[in-house]
Amino acid sequence: MKLSRLIGDLKALLFTLPAMIPLTLFWFIPLGYVIYLSFMEWDFMSPDKTFVGLDNYRYLLDNPDFYDSLRVTLLFCAGSVLPIMAVGLALAALLSRKRRGGAVYRTLIFSPWVTPTVAVSIVWSWIYEPEVGLANTLLRLFGLEGVRWLEDPNWALIGILLVTIWKSAGWSMIFYLVAIGNVPPDYLEAAELDGANGWRKFRRVTLPLISPTTFFLFVVLTISALQAYDQINVLTQGGPAGSTRTILYFYYLSAFDSYQIGEASSVAILLIAGCVLLSLLSFWIGRRTVHYA
Amino acid sequence: MQHQGKLGRISAHALLAAAALIMAFPFYWMATSALKTNDEIWRFPPTLWPQSPLWSNFADAWNAAPFARYMLNSIVVAGVIVVLQIINSGMMAYALTHMAFRLKGALTSLILVGYMIPVTAVYLPGYIVLSRLGLLDSYGGLILSNCVSIFSIFLIRQAFLQVSHELVEAGQIDGASHFRILWTILFPLARSSFAVLALITFIEQYNNYFWPMLITKNPDLQLVSAGLRSFFVEGGAYGLKWPLIMAASAFTIVPLLALFLLTQKTIMQSVNLSAGASKG
Repeated sequence: MKLSRLIGDLKALLFTLPAMIPLTLFWFIPLGYVIYLSFMEWDFMSPDKTFVGLDNYRYLLDNPDFYDSLRVTLLFCAGSVLPIMAVGLALAALLSRKRRGGAVYRTLIFSPWVTPTVAVSIVWSWIYEPEVGLANTLLRLFGLEGVRWLEDPNWALIGILLVTIWKSAGWSMIFYLVAIGNVPPDYLEAAELDGANGWRKFRRVTLPLISPTTFFLFVVLTISALQAYDQINVLTQGGPAGSTRTILYFYYLSAFDSYQIGEASSVAILLIAGCVLLSLLSFWIGRRTVHYA
Repeated sequence: MQHQGKLGRISAHALLAAAALIMAFPFYWMATSALKTNDEIWRFPPTLWPQSPLWSNFADAWNAAPFARYMLNSIVVAGVIVVLQIINSGMMAYALTHMAFRLKGALTSLILVGYMIPVTAVYLPGYIVLSRLGLLDSYGGLILSNCVSIFSIFLIRQAFLQVSHELVEAGQIDGASHFRILWTILFPLARSSFAVLALITFIEQYNNYFWPMLITKNPDLQLVSAGLRSFFVEGGAYGLKWPLIMAASAFTIVPLLALFLLTQKTIMQSVNLSAGASKG
């Protein structure tokens, strides 16, 4: 009996190995390693690492560039996540009713999401071209002055945000379409009998019922905003004057540009902590709102 | 919801059409810019349609950098990763849902921890691990370091949870091995989830940029995004040969748009499944 249980255990573990070996090599070992490195001073080249305790964290908290990147990250998260959700919700509300051409609208609106961020960012850098680019042509059409989109510290982040929103709004729309489709029709009819008009029904019945989706999108989009890299790399490389340097970009530069492995690792730890907190929050709320699903 | 006035209907269509236009216009702009001459593209105001479409721009761009190689790299690497993820997610999900063993709880929480870790934050230590393994600048490194996805495991686990355990037991009574039961009974039952896994993973890996760029310096190993970006930055292309850059962007993007049009049902269905999978 005991032996057969042992064999069963071994068989099951064998089934987990094809996933567990790469997971260990490329997730768990790096995770432990980055924690270790965050207490070390190391320049990547020299064979020795020096233990420096919490110094990396201390330097980081004294570094004004870090606070700048924290500010940019907050602006980037708020400026991308909220519009992506709002635009997605508005479009889903319009599309949730059966209407002619609905499938065509849906396909067109969703299509940016499947395309490579690098390639579409290159297309957008042409749109942002200051002299003859599409963006400034449109501004001039409305009698406004053109903007140096990617070279002006006041506009560069907005330029990147527009690309980000353009790419993901359709994705959040699909989530909202599914959620709105799952709202029980009798709830809406009941509200109608009470004399609620379209907007009131939407606000009082639909919106509360789809709140788990809203929350899910908020967490997932924030985590992915914290990790945004491709469009920043193509459009501005963190510039001009650090105006688009997010925490992730700061981490990448201190690791692979200035080889301050210790400091970079402490940035990574903060990034990880932020994402873990967000995920825990979503598990916790997910458990409390199960009855909606 | 039943009655909407004529005015409401028209304004809804107007809003939707405007949104669809905004979403699709960059692609149109890319395509027409790719057909313009270098003179015409710098003219103000810009033309909506090129005066004499210069189709040779596509051939010129294609030959200006090894794009065939980049695309092949992307397709092969993404394809192999899809196959590996189908195998290891299937096996892992099977063990987690239909096998009883010690350490199962511990393993599940470990994976949950992994799910919360932002992958970009461990790129630095991951790079060091890969260099210790001697896998920098190799197809092996590109494939191995991406060959597992916790999201994929969750996705398949979710599908396998729907399969009654009696089916598995019946297979065992017939003398089938776990391996056989997994691939001949569960795999066909969960094929729509596997299809979603395959498509989403393929698109993600084909488009992958940051990590592959970090771990490969050899231009022969570049995936299509990194290759396109080098073409954009180098070769005197910057700011000068916009038509060629747009042409190159177009043949990077168009295969994905085509894939999307062919499989949009599955891709949009992935939204349902991914919401389910991430509820754990």
